[in-house]
Amino acid sequence: MRPSLLRTLHLLLAHPALQGAGPFLLVIALWAVVAELRIYPRAFFPSPGEVLLAFAALMSKGILPAYVQDSVTRLAVGAAAGTVVGIPLGFLIGLSPTSYRFFWPLVLFFQAIGDIAWLPILLIWFGFTLTTVTFVLVYTVIFPMIFNTALGVRSVPLEMIRAAQSLGASPARVLWEVLIPGALPNIITGLRNGLGYGWRALIAAEIIVGTSGIGFMMFDARRSGSVVEMILGMILLGLLWYAVDAWVLRPLEQATVERWGLVRPAS
Amino acid sequence: MRGPAFLFRWLREVTWFVAPFVVLLGVWWAAVRISHVPLRVFPAPGDVAQAFQAQAHTGALMAHIWASLRRVAIGTSLAIAASIPLGVAIGTNRTVAALFTPILRFFSVLAGIAWIPLATLWFGYGFGAITFIIFNAVFFIVLYNTILGVTSIPQVLRDAARSLGANRWQVLVEVLLPGALPNIVTGIRTGMGFAWRGLIAAEIIATNAGLGYMLFLARDFYRTEVIVLGMILIGVLWVFLDRLLLAPVERRTIERWGLARPVP
Repeated sequence: MRPSLLRTLHLLLAHPALQGAGPFLLVIALWAVVAELRIYPRAFFPSPGEVLLAFAALMSKGILPAYVQDSVTRLAVGAAAGTVVGIPLGFLIGLSPTSYRFFWPLVLFFQAIGDIAWLPILLIWFGFTLTTVTFVLVYTVIFPMIFNTALGVRSVPLEMIRAAQSLGASPARVLWEVLIPGALPNIITGLRNGLGYGWRALIAAEIIVGTSGIGFMMFDARRSGSVVEMILGMILLGLLWYAVDAWVLRPLEQATVERWGLVRPAS
Repeated sequence: MRGPAFLFRWLREVTWFVAPFVVLLGVWWAAVRISHVPLRVFPAPGDVAQAFQAQAHTGALMAHIWASLRRVAIGTSLAIAASIPLGVAIGTNRTVAALFTPILRFFSVLAGIAWIPLATLWFGYGFGAITFIIFNAVFFIVLYNTILGVTSIPQVLRDAARSLGANRWQVLVEVLLPGALPNIVTGIRTGMGFAWRGLIAAEIIATNAGLGYMLFLARDFYRTEVIVLGMILIGVLWVFLDRLLLAPVERRTIERWGLARPVP
């Protein structure tokens, strides 16, 4: 019985269309069964259907698209700002051994002051506004970017730089043709880490500062005790990260790691 | 190795590490001095030092730190104890592993913070909710990495152990666990990074003790010196936890059992 069951499962899983979706269908089915058995009170543990209904209702009211757009826009702005500021800073720190030794402990320390720890003082400075949320997000993205860019620049072998120099490359060409390509795999890792932390910081900031966005929707649902919307928010968060991962990070990684770097296990 | 030269090098390393912070303190002190920022907006280093003394004197500070560390320790231990055996069990069968991996990726994205609303509803405001949040932050990432580690062990190694007469238990203890250990440790480190941030967020929302609570309480009274003190403590504690505890363990495991991989 067991081997044939496993084989059927295996065949099912091998189908490309089901490769990703199959396991989720199982989880949803299990969820539906547990909800139908009413082991937990309905108010605490809604069924998949209820969540789907809530999704439809919020979509038709236009609340959900607006909130998703708010959250995604914020993440994009944070990522852009983090990249524009973080990469040059990373290069500045990584290029000279002295500046690297000096700034490294500071970068480490400021990265360790978890994004959310900034919220209280930011709330004093900017109040419950979008500035606070943006600040937290940009801060969260910048430090992994600096950290990994500097690491990447440092990891370019000295012989490569010397080889380019001895072939007559100007400093600008060394930067453009040796250092930047050499550091790119690390920079992409930095972007992945930064976005991962930034995504969570954004949710926390939206929960606490609360003006709009998916985090806000979830906390608003908490206030009115609507579990359905909380779970909907969680599902959306997971799906959105899948989208960011599949459409932004993976292609970037494939483009850079395949071309210039080593293959690394994805985390 | 030992001797004056070693001592000299060690001293130089320490100086290089401390110097940036001394400069930072100087800049901070001068900036507050010159710009005359009111204490309600930003404190001077002296104010923070005073706040530290006052808080340490009443014992409130230790109580908050203790509360935060205890939650992280309990949540993380529970998560590690649950996720490693489960991960090994799932990882030994490739079909089951393939089935679980996408789901685990999904849940490891939700790590920590996204559970706050639901956790406070299920467990109320307090210890249960926060432990649940930390548990989730660590559990799914460690589970995911354990499975990744076990499935990445070449089948040849298992077969070799079996053909040399190892029983299932020996294969588990001497092949699967050591082989997966580098991944497991990396997972624990990443998970704790998320757990620490999730903890601060959860304490802001859902409790009446801990560093996050201290920060948010101070905000209500515009006590910026206490806020900055809390931020520094959160940073210092994490550096200690990550660099002095987790990073060395990770390095040793990878040196001993794994392939060198870039550490994020």
